[in-house]
Amino acid sequence: MIQFTNVNKWFNTLHVLNNINLQVKQGEVIVVCGPSGSGKSTLIRTINQLEPINDGKLIVDGKDLSDKSTDINKLRAEIGFVFQQFNLYPHLSVISNITLAPIKLRGLSKKDAEEQAMQLLTRVGLAEKRDVYPSQLSGGQQQRVAITRGLAMKPRIMLFDEPTSALDPEMIGEVLAVMQDLAKSGMTMVVVTHEMGFAREVAHRVVFMDAGTVLEEAPPEEFFCNPQTDRAKQFLNQLLTPMHGATCN
Amino acid sequence: MTILSNFQVIADNIIYFFVGRWPEGPLGGVGLTLYLASASCILSIFGGLILGLLSVSKKKWISWPSMLVINTIRGVPLLMVIFWMYFLLPAIFGKVITETRTVILGLTFFTSAYMSQIVRAGIEGIPKGQMEAAISTGLTHWQAMIYIILPQGLRNMIPSFVNQFVSLIKDTSLAFIVGVSELTHVATQINNRTMAFPTEIFFFIAVVYFIICYAFTSLSRNLEKRLEWRKAI
Repeated sequence: MIQFTNVNKWFNTLHVLNNINLQVKQGEVIVVCGPSGSGKSTLIRTINQLEPINDGKLIVDGKDLSDKSTDINKLRAEIGFVFQQFNLYPHLSVISNITLAPIKLRGLSKKDAEEQAMQLLTRVGLAEKRDVYPSQLSGGQQQRVAITRGLAMKPRIMLFDEPTSALDPEMIGEVLAVMQDLAKSGMTMVVVTHEMGFAREVAHRVVFMDAGTVLEEAPPEEFFCNPQTDRAKQFLNQLLTPMHGATCN
Repeated sequence: MTILSNFQVIADNIIYFFVGRWPEGPLGGVGLTLYLASASCILSIFGGLILGLLSVSKKKWISWPSMLVINTIRGVPLLMVIFWMYFLLPAIFGKVITETRTVILGLTFFTSAYMSQIVRAGIEGIPKGQMEAAISTGLTHWQAMIYIILPQGLRNMIPSFVNQFVSLIKDTSLAFIVGVSELTHVATQINNRTMAFPTEIFFFIAVVYFIICYAFTSLSRNLEKRLEWRKAI
């Protein structure tokens, strides 16, 4: 589904992605973690080309991103992206936030798009908020609407860039619950997060990054109980809630 | 007593000051001033939108020439632009263009450059995440501009548009140089006819300009406050 082959990226002289090789299969849930500045956000943003790569090969949903003939807008419609800062459109109501792209790009009628949006809103528990504006919602609610906005395009891949980092602690759970539900439904997901409980429960693999390179790539049990590199050990020790230690022998 | 009686010249010509020879003849005076300013303002909002959108383009071959045009216009006095239009337009179109239209085109051309910078600032003031979110759903750059960025940006641009309109009202006085009978031109006509009361006449039109401009400046200040309040919610 997603294939990085020797991918490199520089911001001027800063080598943010250093020879990345990574594969994500259909239906897989991948959690990317690592210290800030390790390139994990940049990595996830290259998948829908919010950041173009400088070197190497990146294939997403069968399309080569460095190929000029790839229609990037068409590809992005197949990839949902959830931001740390939600980025809902403040001038549009919740329902319009969700239905804008399906109406403009999928050719859905307003009625069909709204019907579909209401199904999704019901699933994330926000059906009664359909006509409210984003500023009237809590952070957790905004993020659930943002996830719904992504799902409304019926994407084949969902990307999450630190979806809970801007939330108050008591709102993190409601967003993670939606993501867990999504993971169980078989969605291909790449999630940049520090929520190790989430990683442990739903991830198929954890990718640990530092200084632009992938240092470790392992199933969560293996990564949390038996990290191979000192850098990963150090990182895991510094996390405030070491849930990963709970069931290690 | 004599000072007051001198103002009789204003009272005698008050209708002429405000509407010229309208409705029997063409509109003039304050009416024409407001017409010139409004027409140029509306046209230059469109001109400014186009120039502004081109100037924020990521493609250098689009943004660079539009910035060149904008900076060239901003580096030339308005009076030059009006003269330029006055002699250039007939040469281009091969027929006579009325003075009023010449002035509207000159003002539009000139003001579009300033409007474009308001548009540019309005667009750049919208957080980057909005564009990213929009294109992430598959919208093209232009669709994102039209449905997401501009509707938010335009709201922020409204006070600046009103300020630019106030500048336009004052700038219309330059139309007198090519013989368009707006307020300043009407004043010089009356002054030339009566020959005795230049102080009273030009004092009066200064007050008229001030009252109109002050009204719109207050409006713009109110709008700014209202928008501020909306943002805070």
